[in-house]
Amino acid sequence: MKKRQSLFYHILIFVLAQIAWLALLGLWIYWYVFNYIVFKKVGDQVSPQLTYDITNVVPFVIGLVLLIGISFTTTWIFRHLNLQLRLNKLYDNFIGNVTHELKSPLSSIQLNLETLNSRNVPPEKRKEFINLMMKDSSRLQRLINSILEISALEQKKLAHDYQVYKAEPLVRQLLNGSIEQFRLSEGSVTINGSTQCEIVVDRNALKIVLDNLVDNALKYSTEPIHINVNFSHNTNKFFIEFSDKGIGIPPKEQKKIFHKFYRIYHKNVPSVKGTGLGLYWVKEIIKNHGGKISLFSEGENKGTTFKIEFPIYKTSKKRFVNKLLKRTERNKERILVDG
Amino acid sequence: MANKSLINNRILLVEDEESLAVGLEYNLVEEGYTVDWAKNGREALKLFESKKFELIILDIMLPYVNGFEVAERVRQIDPQIPILILTARTATGDKIKGLESGADDYLTKPFHLKELLLRVKGMLKRKAWYQKTSSKQPVYKFGDNEINFENFSCKCKDKEFTLTAQEAMVMKYLIENKEKIVSRKELLENVWHMNPDIETRTVDNFIARLRKYFEPDPSNPVYIKSVRGAGYVFENKPL
Repeated sequence: MKKRQSLFYHILIFVLAQIAWLALLGLWIYWYVFNYIVFKKVGDQVSPQLTYDITNVVPFVIGLVLLIGISFTTTWIFRHLNLQLRLNKLYDNFIGNVTHELKSPLSSIQLNLETLNSRNVPPEKRKEFINLMMKDSSRLQRLINSILEISALEQKKLAHDYQVYKAEPLVRQLLNGSIEQFRLSEGSVTINGSTQCEIVVDRNALKIVLDNLVDNALKYSTEPIHINVNFSHNTNKFFIEFSDKGIGIPPKEQKKIFHKFYRIYHKNVPSVKGTGLGLYWVKEIIKNHGGKISLFSEGENKGTTFKIEFPIYKTSKKRFVNKLLKRTERNKERILVDG
Repeated sequence: MANKSLINNRILLVEDEESLAVGLEYNLVEEGYTVDWAKNGREALKLFESKKFELIILDIMLPYVNGFEVAERVRQIDPQIPILILTARTATGDKIKGLESGADDYLTKPFHLKELLLRVKGMLKRKAWYQKTSSKQPVYKFGDNEINFENFSCKCKDKEFTLTAQEAMVMKYLIENKEKIVSRKELLENVWHMNPDIETRTVDNFIARLRKYFEPDPSNPVYIKSVRGAGYVFENKPL
């Protein structure tokens, strides 16, 4: 409510500033024209030595330029103020989400430890509690790593290990790892298509991409999860199409979904977990590989398809891809020297 | 272990975090309560409508229907059921919103198991005390005012309104201790069950609200009087 009011006041101030500017402009023109007419009528009689030449126009033009400058500056300040407000809102959301994501596993670990410490827990239940605590500590680790790695990625401080891989076997292998990690049932992921092309990727970064997409599909599926992965290529690009049968993404949210901290708050969303960083991270990783990610969803409850493309090695974006490989070589050399 | 009288009280646990819910359920069952676990707001409301519960432990960030909305809807159906909000959200705004939605207590994560169990026990004890005393004398009259402690409805001269559960508890406690001085600490202990988050100022705010409802002139109270440095006293003498 307060935020809405503050936005209203900003708009009001902007409108008032524009009205004030227009009024000032009007007054300025009126003053100039009025004085000019009076001067022309009586100027000769009062002081014949006064002349009307081009220099009289200069203050008028300067005044106009100044006023127009003020208008542009007001608009510019208003635009940036709005941007700042939007960023603040996203930041608040992020803090709220991260607090939730940190405190939830932490409180569960604390509760389970206190339970084990204060009660005579039967061995089976004890094992269950220990497993739950391990799950929670991995969740905390994932969250902390993601925040640190995104920050390093943004500051270009992350040492990537770019290598040339055969695209299909690598993605298949990483997907199988994700299936195991998220304990997906047999048959819940189908992989189709075949390609012989090679791509340059950081294996760990690609794993993060696939894990995030699987995690997303899990969070936003109401029915038993089903993921369909399709490989294809053309002369320049290798494509991965990753489709789930989840709750889908409304068209107006589709562009924003890759924005940092952005999350969809909707009554039909079956999970409130997350920080709003996952898909932003995915997009940034793919961008760093010279690739692209886009999504398609017909709308609510119609599932979502993410389409990822990577440049094929030695065919597309040669300079960019070679630069990635050279950077990895340099990093390795540096490690050897430092080591 | 909970009091014998509190054993088998049915608790609705609304929590979407599986690992936390499993631990909570185990501990509450060990204390002798019966627990039903709802994983989201929608499931919680369904369960609440289908069974009789004595207490609700409610998370705020829930899928489908959030905790605030669940508390509000539950309050419309049952003004007496104690609701304990258990959440990671620590902002004062959230605490106020939670208490305004109808929750009786607010505990933030991470929490201590003993503290949670004590709060649950305290809330159930208060509910039992309230029900016991209300059934003896469900309607209480003083001056032009009439309070029904079963459904929290009030009549004051020509006005009719409903008290919140907490307001009714404070009023009930003051009436039960008529003509005795009740300290703020005593009210905190017995009505709020020593919630460390609630300051004595909260008690004063409640009293100010109750005076507005029932006193002919709230600035010169005749029913709920202040005793300087000691607390409050309820008097029901003919005016």
